[in-house]
Parts: sequence; C-alpha cells; structure tokens
Amino acid sequence: MDFGLFAQHTMNGLMLGMMYALVAVGFTLFFGVLDVIKFSHGDVLTVGAFTALATFVGLKSMGVASTTVELLAMLIAAIGAMAVLGAVIAKAFVLPLRAAPALNTLLITLMLGTVLREAVRLFYPDGANPKPFPRLLPAESVSIGNFNLRLDNTIMLAAGVLVIVGLQLMLNRTKLGLAIRAVAQDEETAKTMGVNFSAIVLITFAIGSALAAFAGLMNGLYYNEINFGIGLYLGVVGFSAAIIGGLGSIYGAILGGFMFAALQTIGAVALPFASAYKDVFAFAVVIVLMAWRPTGLIPEKLSERV
Amino acid sequence: MAAANGGAGSVLPGVTAIALATAFLIVLLRVENQTAIISLLAFGLAAVAVANWFGWLAPVTRSFAERENALDAFAVVAALVVAAVFHEDHFVLLLVCTVLLYIVATLGLNIQFGYAGVLNFAGASFFGIGAYTAAVLNEHTAIPHLLVLLIGGVMAALIGSLLLLPVLRTRGHYAAVVTIAFALLFKTFLEVNDVLGGPQGLQVRSMKILGWSFNDNFQIGGVKLSFYISYFLVSLIILVLAFVLVRRIERSWVGLNLDALRLDETAACCFGLDIVRWKVTAFLLGNFLIGIAGTLFGMVGGFVQPNNYTFADSLILVSILLLGGIGNPWGVVVATVIVVIVPEKLQAIQEYRFLLYAALVMAVLLFRSEGLLPRPVRRYFPGWRP
Amino acid sequence: MINLRILGILASTVIFAGLLTAAGIGPIQAKDKVKVGFIGPLTGGTSANGLGGRNSADLAVRLRNADAKAKYEYEMIALDDECKPNVGVQQATKLAADKELIAAATHYCSAVAIATVDVYHKFGLPVIVWGAVLPDITYRNKYPEVHRVNGTMINQNQRNAELISKLGYKTFAVIHDTTDYGKGHNKYFSEALAKQGGKIVGTFGVTSDQQDFAAELTQIKSLNPQVIYFGGLTPIGVRIRAQMDKLGLNNVVFDATSGIKSDAYIEGLGKLAEGSLSFIEGGPIERLPGGKSFLVKYNAQNYPNPPEAYGAFAFAAMSLILDTIESVGPDRKKVQDTLNKVKDRDSIVGTITFDDHGQNTVPVITGFVVQDGKWVVWEDSEYASGKRKLPGQK
Repeated sequence: MDFGLFAQHTMNGLMLGMMYALVAVGFTLFFGVLDVIKFSHGDVLTVGAFTALATFVGLKSMGVASTTVELLAMLIAAIGAMAVLGAVIAKAFVLPLRAAPALNTLLITLMLGTVLREAVRLFYPDGANPKPFPRLLPAESVSIGNFNLRLDNTIMLAAGVLVIVGLQLMLNRTKLGLAIRAVAQDEETAKTMGVNFSAIVLITFAIGSALAAFAGLMNGLYYNEINFGIGLYLGVVGFSAAIIGGLGSIYGAILGGFMFAALQTIGAVALPFASAYKDVFAFAVVIVLMAWRPTGLIPEKLSERV
Repeated sequence: MAAANGGAGSVLPGVTAIALATAFLIVLLRVENQTAIISLLAFGLAAVAVANWFGWLAPVTRSFAERENALDAFAVVAALVVAAVFHEDHFVLLLVCTVLLYIVATLGLNIQFGYAGVLNFAGASFFGIGAYTAAVLNEHTAIPHLLVLLIGGVMAALIGSLLLLPVLRTRGHYAAVVTIAFALLFKTFLEVNDVLGGPQGLQVRSMKILGWSFNDNFQIGGVKLSFYISYFLVSLIILVLAFVLVRRIERSWVGLNLDALRLDETAACCFGLDIVRWKVTAFLLGNFLIGIAGTLFGMVGGFVQPNNYTFADSLILVSILLLGGIGNPWGVVVATVIVVIVPEKLQAIQEYRFLLYAALVMAVLLFRSEGLLPRPVRRYFPGWRP
Repeated sequence: MINLRILGILASTVIFAGLLTAAGIGPIQAKDKVKVGFIGPLTGGTSANGLGGRNSADLAVRLRNADAKAKYEYEMIALDDECKPNVGVQQATKLAADKELIAAATHYCSAVAIATVDVYHKFGLPVIVWGAVLPDITYRNKYPEVHRVNGTMINQNQRNAELISKLGYKTFAVIHDTTDYGKGHNKYFSEALAKQGGKIVGTFGVTSDQQDFAAELTQIKSLNPQVIYFGGLTPIGVRIRAQMDKLGLNNVVFDATSGIKSDAYIEGLGKLAEGSLSFIEGGPIERLPGGKSFLVKYNAQNYPNPPEAYGAFAFAAMSLILDTIESVGPDRKKVQDTLNKVKDRDSIVGTITFDDHGQNTVPVITGFVVQDGKWVVWEDSEYASGKRKLPGQK
C-alpha cells in the first residue's frame, strides 16, 4: 500500500471515528449522571440533522445567500432545538422511570427513538427518501498521489476536536462541570452539598443531545445526504463504542469511537474482496473485547467518572 | 369484598375471563372493517378499564393463582376453539401459529431474563438459527422433522454458547452490548454469506410427520380444514410443553436459585450458589426454547431470510416480555397476542403502525412499569399461601 | 323454505330495480363489487417506490370506477410487504386466502417476490408482478398464476454493457448490494461485459443499508478503473456517488441500473448526478401512447408522492387485471387463463406479451443519462450526440 492510500484510509477512519466518538460521548455522559442508557440518542442525531436541513431550506426561501450565516443559523438551530429536546426527554421519560429496572429506561428510550425516526419519515416532507444536504464548507482539495485532502473534512475534524476539548474543559474547569462530576460520583452526597440534582441531570442531557446535533450536522456535511435511518446505526455503533471504552469515561468513549472506525476500515482493507464482512469483523471484535475486558478498556471505577 | 364474586379458590372467574377474552379475540380476528376494528379495540380497552374499576379483576387474579392447572387446561381448550372457528381460514391460522410460537420464544427469554436476570437482545437471532437449521436440514437430509425441531433448539443453544464467556464475565449494560453486537453480526453475516442464501434467504420444505405432509389441505368428515391446522396443533403442543417446563422451573428449587441469582448475585454467591452453572443453564435453556420455536416458525412460514431476524425483531421480543410483565408466563401470553395481532388488524393505519406501537409501549412503561400482568408473589404450587 | 324466501326477496328487488330504472329515477344499477389486491413496500427504505406503485395501481382502479361503462365496482386492498420476505409471505397469504379477491399486482422487491410465488401457486391467485426484476421470479418455476409486466435484469445489462463498451471504456469496478437484486446485476453485467471484452478490476459487495463507502472507494481508487458499475437502489446509489466526489473520484463514469432511475436520485445529488447512467425496461413513459395522459391523471389525483420509475408498470399491471376481469368476469381461473394468453396488448409501458412463463417480453430497453438535472433518454442526449462528454471519454 502506498503512502497516499494509507493516508486516505487514515483520513476516512478519522472522520468516521470523530462522528462515532461524538455519539459515544453522549452515551457516556448520560450514563455518568444517571446510570441509564438513553438509546434514543442516535435518533436525536437524526432529528438534529433534519432540523439543520429545515433551517437551511427556510433561510433559502427567505433569500439568505451567505453560507456563513446559513451555517451558523443551522448550527444554532440544531444544537438549541436538540438541547431542549434532550432535556424534555430526560424530564418526561427518563427521570420518571428512575425507580423502575434499568431495562425499562433502555426500552422506553428505544421506543422513543422509533417514534422520532418514524415521525421524521412520515411528517418531514418526503421524509422516506434520502434528502440532499447542502455543501456549505469550502470544497478545495489537494491531491497527493492517491490522497485527496479536502478542506471541508479538515475543518470538520478540527471542529470536532474543538468541541471535545471544550467539553473536557467545561467538565474539569467550571462550576457546572464540577456539579456534573459530583452527581456522577455520588448522587446523595452531591444533593446534600446543595447541588440541584434534577437541574444537573437536565443540563447534562441537554449537553449530550447538543453533541448529537453537532454530530448530525457533521454527518450531513460529510455525506451531503441524510435519511431517517442514519441515527439508528450511529446510535448502535456509538453505544458499542461507549461500552468498549468503558461507560462513564469520556476518554473511553472517544477511544472506543475511533477504535470502532479503525476496525471497520481495517476490516474493509484487509478483506479487500469481501469488504461486506467489515461489520461482521468489527462486531466480532467487540464481543471478543468484552470477554477480555468485561467492563471496557478504561474500567469505570478506576477512571475519573465524567 | 370483591372476592365474594367468585369465592376463594373458585375456577369460575378465571374461566369467565378466558371465555370472554377468547370470544373477543374471535370477533376481532373475524372483523375486516377498519372502523369496526378500531371500535372493537376501544371497546375492549374500556371493558378492561371498567372491570378494573369495579374490582372484578381481583377474583380473576385469585382464581388464576389458586386453580391454575384447571385454567391452563381451559386455555388450551380456548385455543382449540379459536382454531376450530377459523378451521378454513389460512391467514388467521397463520397468525395464530405466529402468536403461539412467539409465546414459546418469549418464554425462553423469560427464563433468561425474567428468572436468571441474563439479558438477551439477540432473541430474534436465535429464533433465526432455528429457522435456518430447518431450511438446511429439511432440504439436504432425511432427518425426521420432529427431530429437526430438537436439533434446531440444540443448534441455537450451541451457537449461543459461543457467547457464554463474554455473557458470564459482563454485567448489566455491558452484557447487553454483547448480545446486541451478536444480533447485528448475525444479520450482516447472513446477508453477505452466500452459502445460506445471502439476503435472498432460503426456502424451507414443509413439515412431514410419518408421511403426513403439512402443506396439504385436508378434510375430516366432510369439513375442509386448512393445512395450517396441522401446524397449529404442533405449535400448541410445543407451547404447552414449554409452558409447563417454565412453570416447573419457576416453582422448583431451580427457580428459587435463579431468582436469588437475579436479585443479588453477590449474596447468592455467598450462600454457596454456583453462579456460573445457573447462568449457563438459564442462557442455554432459553436459547433452546427460542431455537425450537424458530425452527417450527421457519417451516410454517416456508421461507427464511436475514431481514426477519434483525435487532429490531429482537427488541420486539424483549418488549413483549416487558409489556406482559417480566417473569410472568401468563403476561407473556397476553402481551404476545396484543403485539402480534393488533398491528396486523389495523391495516388502515399501516404507515403509522410502528409509530403507534412504539408510543403504546412507551405509555405502558410510563404508567404501568411492571407490565400488564406483573409477576405475582412466588407460589410453590397452585393454591399455596405463604 | 329459506331458499324460497331469499329467492322471493331477490326477485322483488330485481323487479323493483327494473321499475326504477324504467322510470328513470333510480341510480344507475348498483354494480357488483370486485376485490383486487396490491402489495408493495409501503414502509422502510424503498417505500418511495412502493408508494408510487400503490398510487399508480390505485389510479387505475379509480379511473375504472369512474368509467360508467365498467361492469363492476372495484375495491383495491393494498398491503405492505415492508420489503421483507416473511412479511410478504404473510400478506400474500392474506390476499390469496380471501376468496372474494380475484387478482393482484404484487411486489417491487425481488427478494419478496421470489418468496411469495409459491403462495400464489398454492392458493391459485393470479398475480402480475409490477416491479421486481429478478429473472427467477418467473423462470425458476412454471407457475400459471405468476405474470410480470416489467422486464428482467438480463436484457438491461446486455444493453448497458454494449453501450458503455461502444463508448470505449475498458476497465470497470463493480459495487453491488448483496441482495439478490445487486448480486443478480453483478452476475448478468459481468457476463454481458465479458462478451464485449471489458475488464472488471474489482468487485465489492456492500450491504443495502450501508452509510459509509470511503473504504471501498479508496480501494477502487487505487485500482484506477474508468467506470464504476453500480447494482443497487437509489439510497446507497446517492451515497456512493456523493462519496466518490469526496475522494476525488470524478474522472470515472457512474454506470448504474434501473434501481437509481428515480427523481430522488437527482434530488439527492444535485449537480453531482450529472452524467450518471441508468437503464430501464420499456420505453420512456412520456413518449408512450398513454404515458402523457397517465402523468396528467396521476398529478390530477394529488397523490403526495411521485409515481417513480415503476409506477407506470403498476398502473399497467392493474389495468390489465381490470380489463381481464371486465371481459371474463370475476373468476380467478378464467382471469388466469386469459392472462396467460395476453399477446400484443397495448399499454402505457408498450405492448405486453406474456411468454409461457408469464413473462412479458420487453424488447425495448431505454438508457438514460442525467443531463442538466433531468433523466434524458440516451439517444436524445448531448452526450450521445458528442456535444458533451462523459468523464474520461475520448
């Protein structure tokens, strides 16, 4: 394999890994504060992507032509709307089920995911078909042999890194972050120390869902196409990534996300004429990993919990 | 006291309830008009609500608790009545067979999750293993088909045993991901693998027992019977066996051990229970039941295909268990009937049925999180009082 | 006793009706109701084509019911096979078991259609397949119940291989989905291409719901083919074409099958769709005798979705069923026998002639190319006239 090809595969893997990681971080955040799995996360991503698209269509019909304005508006609309949706989901479906077995939360959010997905399919105009997503980032590219380095991909990758670093700073350096970590570590103690438990939970869900919206927008800009099913797959992969990494650990989730992307890319390259087996390969490795490290690569108890 | 209606230990309330439910089901299955179906469903809901309001459900519960053997027998009679009413109607009988076999599969899931607390999000995959076993064996071998049923179950258990190590080592959500990964892997593998027909799937030869071909319509005393009647009878027999097995397990010391394991693994371990042994038993036995149901379902449907055994289908199985009430076999029966038959009858809302189904499950989880029929206090035998 | 009473009631009804008609005050005599069926994917990833088909079949029924000369009043039962064989078998059983239902137009997905043919045979329900292209559906067995108005993928791929080779392309990479549809296309295209002397440098099977093709396309890039042949449906077709652009694979022809001939493909790609090729069986709808009026009538009904590539076939299949019932009456056996004898019948998809397997021999295959955001018939396009060139064309 020449260098260009290798670089191209690496870039492909990094883009995929960034999206997986952003989704996985959401799972791990929710698990950190409430010990629950919110499986509708992937479909929140879908709704976020469609919100961004609707915003774009709306702006276009109003005659706004500046791509910067459009991009900013889409970002704000998607992230804002999904943050609200995330908090509403937490308030209406997750918090009320705290006393019930953990599986109930898993199931109710799975069903909520189905409702969101089906709602997009049925109620977004012509939602059953894949929708084109506008190309808003500069598409200049440099070709180095077989490697096609594109400006838009680089921008997205950098933005993803920024978001994750920002989240990390927020969690570790701000008062809000301290409160979230306190709740994650010990709910009762956090409460006695004057942390408003439900407010923190709602905020965490809002943050996690905003991340999903960001990932959804990124997904749209990267593939230039969105459909009602994107979230289902990304949700499952993100969940697996969060688990491989070790639930509750942000580093674990990021590691898991990039690792899953690497497995898929390696699978496709190593099995060149049977590339369809790449998912089989990736999930088989997940199972083996679980047998080897039953609580993930970065086990919860030893790591700093969110 | 509401119990005065039936008196302690009377079978009457239970029999009445089953009879009414059966009559309702028959009418529901017969009606084709969409408005009529919707009104019927609304009426059914209202009737249950009213009965609950007046406390008429309490004696029913009591009667089920205390005279269960008699009522189990009566339920079998009720199933036979449904089949007799629709003896000529292929589609309804196919639907009824589907319900029976889904109940068997969910009972298997119930052993794993309801008793031992082992999560399994790959139920549909093990169901599929059974169906593919039927497709391959019926096509290429002359193994008697009743034996194929057993082999299908064994295959599901065997392939499931590949997951034993990760399932045993992990807990809670970590265990969930093992089976979720398996469910996704299984479907993708079948899709890209040509040997088992790929995404196209395989045809399954119909069942034959002692030269009796199950895919021919037949007549008894001048009454034409659908060929699905034969499948219905075999399904019913398997269901009865599975139901008895699950009940026996629940009431025996095995069930006691499994319950202890689920409720507190550490404590159970301290009291000298062999955690590994019981988890393995429950997981394999559950998959065995699911596999048998899948094998017969493959033969009933006549076709197996990877798309039938997706993660989403596994979720349907899990949601049946939750809807019905984890650990309660009777809850499984009621929930399966609802989950399989209602969307099938509501064709008018066909595009919206997933949406409504999901919303319904959410409502149940929010407002009745124990399921429709929560598992009652353990009874060691019918009529036992602590 | 009872029979006598019924007879009496019948007789008086007839007399009464006769009197009313004679007096010219009654409604036009009530027509007998006849049920016909439709099955297609109404939910799931291919639902756009399913809904287009359903609407088109529904249009045929509505037009017939509006026609005062029609002998019967038709009711269409539309069922959803979800593009899943097991669901398809259930729904097929449901239709076939309904004795009042005379015939049906069934299935867009080949995997479903091949699974259900046995059901129709078992129950003796005459059906006309309106969209599935796998040859086996009609040719694996010789069931008198099963007919098909659209062509199979064999003819399509012959024409495809001839055209693309004539343009001077020699090296090909194949991407196909791993359903029977994609695999069939891979097989028949490879065979047809071998005859033309083209060379396949790599074949990639992908699942029909895959999102990311970067790994496969990067591999293809290193193999450096002139053409990417794609056997699959619109959703992943859009993704693959879009991701080709991301990887700088723009000097390659995107040569595809009937599966991407939909408005959704162009809508999904915008300018990138330019120069993509697709081949379908039958002539371009707008040019057929009834094609224009079909589109006008379709639009007049305000259906929420477009008819898509196979809507016209669904319309033709349903019209053929209704014609047959009109001529021989609502009787499955008679309808089936008459359908088997259909020869040189005009329809909006061209003349229909069923061979001994019930397969319509479709001589016309039309190639399309995307030009200025529209599917244009190849021969009429500026690409064919030499005014524009496909990527890498000499």
